[in-house]
Amino acid sequence: MNEDPSALLPELLMLGGAVIGLLTGAFTRRDRQRAVAWICGTALTGAAVATAFAAVRPDTMAFEAYAVDPLTNVTRVTVAVATLLVVVLAAGWARGNRREAEVYVLLLLAALGAVVLAGAGDLLVFAAAYLVASIPAYALAGFAEDGRGTEAALKYYLMGAFLGVIMLAGVTLLYGLKGTTSYMSLAGAPGAAAGCGILLLLAGVLFKAGAVPGHFWVPDVTEGAPPVVAAFVTTVPKIGALAGLLRLATEMFDGADAGWRPLVALIAVATMTLGNLAAFHQDNVRRLLAYSTISQAGYLLIPVAVTGQTGLARPALLFYLAAYAVTNLGAFAVVVAVGRDSLAGYAGLARRAPGLALALVVCLLGLVGTPPTAVFAGKLLVFAAAVDGGYAWLAVVAVLNTVASVFYYLRWIVPAFRPGEPPAPAPVATRVACLAATASLLLGVAAALMLTRG
Amino acid sequence: MNGLLWVLPGLPAVSGALLLIAHLVPSRRHDGGAEPYGEPARGRSGWASGKGGAHGEPAAGRRPGGLLRGAREGLAGPVAVLVAVVTLLVAVLVAVDRPRADTVLFDGLRSGLAVDGLSAVMVVTVAAVALAVLAFAAGEARDARFFGLMLLFTAAMLVTVTAADLALLLMAWEVMGAMSYALIGYRWHDAEHARSADLAFVTTRAGDLGLYLAAGCALAGTGSLSLAALPAAGSPWAHLIAAGIVVAALGKSAQLPFSFWLSRAMAGPSAVSALLHSATMVAAGAYLLLRVEPLLAATGWAATLVAWAGALTALLLGAVALAQRDLKQLLAASTCAQVGFMVLAAGVAAVAGGVAHLVAHAAVKSLLFLCAGVWLTTLGTEDLVRLRGAARRHPVTGVTFGIGAAALAGLPPLSLWVTKDAVLASVHPPALRVVAFAATLLAAAYATKALIVVWRPGAPAPPQPGKRPGEGPLGWAPLAALALAAAGFGVVGVPVVFDGWAGLLGVPAERGPGAAELAVSGGLAVVVAGLVLAVRRRGVRPLGVDLWWGPARWFGLERVARTAVARPVMALAGALARFDDRVIDGAVHGAARAVTRAAGIARTPVETGIDGVVRAVAAGAGRLGTLARRPQTGQAHLYLAQAAIGLALLAVVIALVR
Repeated sequence: MNEDPSALLPELLMLGGAVIGLLTGAFTRRDRQRAVAWICGTALTGAAVATAFAAVRPDTMAFEAYAVDPLTNVTRVTVAVATLLVVVLAAGWARGNRREAEVYVLLLLAALGAVVLAGAGDLLVFAAAYLVASIPAYALAGFAEDGRGTEAALKYYLMGAFLGVIMLAGVTLLYGLKGTTSYMSLAGAPGAAAGCGILLLLAGVLFKAGAVPGHFWVPDVTEGAPPVVAAFVTTVPKIGALAGLLRLATEMFDGADAGWRPLVALIAVATMTLGNLAAFHQDNVRRLLAYSTISQAGYLLIPVAVTGQTGLARPALLFYLAAYAVTNLGAFAVVVAVGRDSLAGYAGLARRAPGLALALVVCLLGLVGTPPTAVFAGKLLVFAAAVDGGYAWLAVVAVLNTVASVFYYLRWIVPAFRPGEPPAPAPVATRVACLAATASLLLGVAAALMLTRG
Repeated sequence: MNGLLWVLPGLPAVSGALLLIAHLVPSRRHDGGAEPYGEPARGRSGWASGKGGAHGEPAAGRRPGGLLRGAREGLAGPVAVLVAVVTLLVAVLVAVDRPRADTVLFDGLRSGLAVDGLSAVMVVTVAAVALAVLAFAAGEARDARFFGLMLLFTAAMLVTVTAADLALLLMAWEVMGAMSYALIGYRWHDAEHARSADLAFVTTRAGDLGLYLAAGCALAGTGSLSLAALPAAGSPWAHLIAAGIVVAALGKSAQLPFSFWLSRAMAGPSAVSALLHSATMVAAGAYLLLRVEPLLAATGWAATLVAWAGALTALLLGAVALAQRDLKQLLAASTCAQVGFMVLAAGVAAVAGGVAHLVAHAAVKSLLFLCAGVWLTTLGTEDLVRLRGAARRHPVTGVTFGIGAAALAGLPPLSLWVTKDAVLASVHPPALRVVAFAATLLAAAYATKALIVVWRPGAPAPPQPGKRPGEGPLGWAPLAALALAAAGFGVVGVPVVFDGWAGLLGVPAERGPGAAELAVSGGLAVVVAGLVLAVRRRGVRPLGVDLWWGPARWFGLERVARTAVARPVMALAGALARFDDRVIDGAVHGAARAVTRAAGIARTPVETGIDGVVRAVAAGAGRLGTLARRPQTGQAHLYLAQAAIGLALLAVVIALVR
């Protein structure tokens, strides 16, 4: 039994960063709260570095409830890097706000929740992580204290609470079945009750992942909350939720006597199709991106459906998650930089800010899955996993959806090359967008090299 | 010395080209069109700025390009004169030294220049006349374009008379034609002048085709292009060569039936007429015929044809000259007539006489044209009626013009009296002799007519203000030199001298003009001149016929050429163009249309189907998109209800699929 706290060093660093940041913020003058951003940034960097050290050690189960394995480690790094990007974005947006410090602390706590979602090996830990990941996000969504933000936060909260309660019901049901909440011990849960418990659990996970039927909050929050928050809540919790779902599916569902695979496949199809269709003719870029993230959640559910059938499922999901995080953040960074919500507002961007327009093109084509971007490699792995895992039809549906998605991404790219007068882009966000686009390209090229080398 | 032979045409060619470049390079405004610079010569910037200022034009620097350009244009005249002087010196040197230079122009065909007796005489004549004309033109202060073209022409003419083969001859022949075109159209902004240039060029070009034919046949018949080898050509080739050369020569020399182009060539400045259209280029045809006289004699028919063409031209164009009321037109027609005597000489193997006539005529006619140019410039007219008394107003011009006209009339003891008889001495067929003799009488008549008009007391046209060409050394020296030659070249007729002349030319000794013949022709010329004088005194107009086919209109040759040649050719070209447009082009377009239509037909079922499917899919996707957004009501309770329903459905699914 491993009770070494050092196995949880990355999580502890993030927690510590959040606590220190909160305290520092409480006792710092408003105009010096930027320091909290540095603290949180350092904590995230430290978490990523600590994960790198942890990755070379053998897999372990800390406190019998928290798995430290590649799934957790990759999630740690991805979440840390993605949150770091969001913190940088937020530093430009929240500067001078009287609650500036709280932004960084809430971001860090939500990120911690996302990481723990992935690492949890026990339903109670998972439930706690769900709350840790959700509640700061509700607060962030309403951070702007305006009507739309408040409405978004309320919808987000109601949805989260509703589906969270359902999830807790599932936890209770499963505990009742086996007298334990450990994934491993629940693996052999019997029949229909297990299936019901799995479904109830899924409700919460799908809420966090932004997948059907827990997706309703996504467009409203993305449009209503501040863009930086929208970037965060559509990216980081999704990483944790899907990584955690993969673990649930691998360690718990797989042993259950229930038809959960077709269920997940069905959810995946519904999610990607609904997201893509709803994104058609969407003129608000944030809603467009919101539906785009829903459809991406659909693709990300594919490896979950085939996990255990093929060894490709886990690498496919993890790589796709990393690629998606970077690319999606890049696209949101462009929105933050330009500050316009309508597609027409992007007219003239290519002339005004060629670098930013290029970043936009790279990120959007990346979301489509165009080589040589990272998402292309991710999609390739996902489709390969689907075919390998016996769900070829799922791959076909995903390909069709991908083709359809080209339409609405191009609808955003085209105006950028038309004449027009966009506002001057925000410098920090521009740099983040370019960085994300570059990272997306580098990840894609690196993946291509790794894949071709075997 | 062989290198010197290349220098002879090279120097004027290079300096002419440089002058043209200098004229073109710095001008920001295209010249020529911008500055109507015409035969009432206008003072120009730079060298002529004094004159320009005198009659109210702004001084040098008034045009873009300013002083530098003005100076450059002003320098063109002196540079051209200097080049002409050096060219004359070189011409004399090569005439003495008789060098030969050749190079490989085409694979296996040597091509080059050679100076024999005939060429020696020609190069000196050409260089001398060119110098005289250029010096006179320098006095008129023309622009660099003029001098550049004139020098290029001189170079081409020098190559023409020294070329030892048809290839070089053709090149030079073409350059001469092109320069003639450019100089006739010197004032190209005047559409009429441009049309005249076109006509002259097209007409001579049509004749030039004969030279191409000759060159091709020479290559086929003798295996070389050498002029000396031409008589050796075999039976069909020799005839074809002779025919081609005769056509080309008659065209260039404005003999019948090509004469009309020379009338139009008078659109050029008088100095151009003096050099190109009397002394040199027009005489080049005669030169070529004299050069290939052995070939003409060898074919039998060609010599006779040439002799008759020359004699008839001399007669008919003499009549034309007599009927003219315009001094330059009179001189042009008389040029055709006089060149006719040279062509006649080629036909009757009187090479020594013909060349002598050519040289003497060159001096006489360039002199007359320069004088005409003086009056045209100062009095602004070339109408014979308005030129009354012009000679009295300008004594130098008047006296020299008088000498030239008297020589043209064949009055003793002047040059043409002798040289013409040197040609006629070799004419044996009686009919030909009669025609030629009649032609000499006509020459006496028209020359006397011109002479009388300008010397007759009367009130000439009021002088143009500020125009003073023909004054100063550059004005009178060329006239004086040419007049001296025109008067004194008759010395060639002295029997001893004539034998020496034939020796110089390297041709067999001919029967020179006999004393009796000279006396008769001289006497008759005087009689005719006196007759004309008497008729003029009484105011009777001897040739009042003014029909389009009459001599006053050059026998309507131009109209005939237009009707008989130009119109059918243009009609044929138009028909062919229509054939091209309608049949060939139409077929191409029709094929394209047919293919497009076929493609359209083929497309309809296939493409419409595919298109329809695509549209249907797009529309369906759009409708589904709208449908997909419908659950997104924005109302939280509906969201929760929908989520619950969704989960319930999933529960059904999981229950069913297990």
